[in-house]
Amino acid sequence: MNIQFKSIIELRAMLDNKSISISELIHESFLLAKKYNELNCFVTMNEEVGQKKADAAGSNNKNSSMLFGIPLAQKDLFCTENLRTTCSSKILSNFIPPYTATAVKKLEDAGSITIGKTNMDEFAMGSSNETSFFGNVHNPWKKGYVPGGSSGGSAAAVAAGIVPAATGTDTGGSIRQPAAHCGITGLKPTYGRVSRWGMIAFASSLDQAGPLARTAEDCAILLNSMSGYDSKDTTSLNSDVPDFLANINQPIDGLKIGIIKEFNLNDLDSEVQARFEESKKTYEKLGAKFIEVSLPNISASVPTYYSIAPAECSSNLSRFDGVRFGHRAKNTTDLNDLYIKSRSEGFGDEVKRRILIGTYALSAGYYDAYYKKAQQVRRLIKNDFDQVFQSVDVLMTPTSPNTAFEFGSKGMQNPVELYLEDLFTISSNLAGLPAISIPHGQVNSLPVGLQLIGNFLKEDQLLNTAHLFQKNSDFHLAQPSLEDFS
Amino acid sequence: MDQETVRTICYLARLEIDQKKSEKIQKDLETIVDLIGGLKNIDTSAIEPLYSPLEMTASIHEDIENSDNQKEKFLKNAPESNDDYFFVPRVVE
Repeated sequence: MNIQFKSIIELRAMLDNKSISISELIHESFLLAKKYNELNCFVTMNEEVGQKKADAAGSNNKNSSMLFGIPLAQKDLFCTENLRTTCSSKILSNFIPPYTATAVKKLEDAGSITIGKTNMDEFAMGSSNETSFFGNVHNPWKKGYVPGGSSGGSAAAVAAGIVPAATGTDTGGSIRQPAAHCGITGLKPTYGRVSRWGMIAFASSLDQAGPLARTAEDCAILLNSMSGYDSKDTTSLNSDVPDFLANINQPIDGLKIGIIKEFNLNDLDSEVQARFEESKKTYEKLGAKFIEVSLPNISASVPTYYSIAPAECSSNLSRFDGVRFGHRAKNTTDLNDLYIKSRSEGFGDEVKRRILIGTYALSAGYYDAYYKKAQQVRRLIKNDFDQVFQSVDVLMTPTSPNTAFEFGSKGMQNPVELYLEDLFTISSNLAGLPAISIPHGQVNSLPVGLQLIGNFLKEDQLLNTAHLFQKNSDFHLAQPSLEDFS
Repeated sequence: MDQETVRTICYLARLEIDQKKSEKIQKDLETIVDLIGGLKNIDTSAIEPLYSPLEMTASIHEDIENSDNQKEKFLKNAPESNDDYFFVPRVVE
């Protein structure tokens, strides 16, 4: 029974009508992971425990959860009890967490089965998955091309049809940009919607977990389980969680979609631009109205982010000291030497760069000029969003200025070149807003993503808007041939 | 940003940079500082910093023990430890 490229809803139907058992489904998923090993999506597999859980669940097919028996992959940034969690870093390459992150636990409590931990940019710092200690992940659409990052392994595993969905985290676009580059759907929820407990922190005021899947409907299914208040996360939101799946499929007649004036789309590749114009027409046919809006401070998003995120990173990553867990250097002379050598051997270049920038921005004499200044500009950016959401329901932008690129072709000489990849995605993290990327065609046989940004806690509206697009197009059904990988 | 500043930040961050990479790191840091330095042209007088998008005080809970002692489980990940403590190089002679 072929399960490759099937959505959760399709797999659910196959399980319910008994054309496949949970045991067989999980076995098939592991076989696909092995067959496409060359993609390098996974850092650690969970085969023994995963298959055992599937075999035990086999006779209990009456569970009403949509996720019961469904194989999922987890980004290797979520702590998973007794299953190695590396954050794709040498410093955590031997770390076996004693507990499971809330977001993953909720998915597993709903009956899903974790088949493995996915490759990513080291500590989620990167937009191309090229900073992983465990090597590059290939884009399933083209060998030797990046899958995007930082949730590149999760995006590639879903795009290759190994699993119907995976978890990711998004600090500046790390769910949406790889979803766009791999031709799948990825949602970054409102900050606080999903618990961050058990996620290895990068930038705590920006990090948010969310789903990557083949469709908006499947993202809704995952979000239903992942969301909700968690007393263990002090920034968790205590708000009602709607049924995201039940709210999907509402008409969008009269929906007001904002186009951001400050993003000059004429600067983009003409084909990327053409896709965007086509998608506007699709939404117009569905009854949506387009309004040009201004967010005067949005062009400051990239510098604002690259002050705040490294500052929070330098603080968060100070916990890696070679004492309590993770890599410890040998032959050290004293405690200070142990810290310095363990950290210097354990972290890769991009992580070091960001720790250094953050340390600089937070150091005496520079704090006001860089860190505090950026947090003030952040408020201006958020105020701009508050303003425009008084006149529009959602905002629409491309997800990324370009399609996936070749390994090693960007950011090697100048890191800022790669930082500009995040131009369209970063502002929603700064403001804490939900945003989704959906596939809307291809340019030179590589997928292109469309981003919708919603108002605070309006994931239901985003998922509905994305779902209607998918009901009226077939871009999300495209499948890579994968002939170079098996 | 000069080499001396790079050395100071490296020390503050407890990181050591390979001599061969030190010039490249200095150049990279300069480029990034230039990027974020561009913010100085934005007028933020009388604007309060936004440290978290939620603008709420972190929630607190009663200080009560809510799980068993998991010392053994946590010490398992330590590079060097005994039954009770993490081991580090001698600090006091």
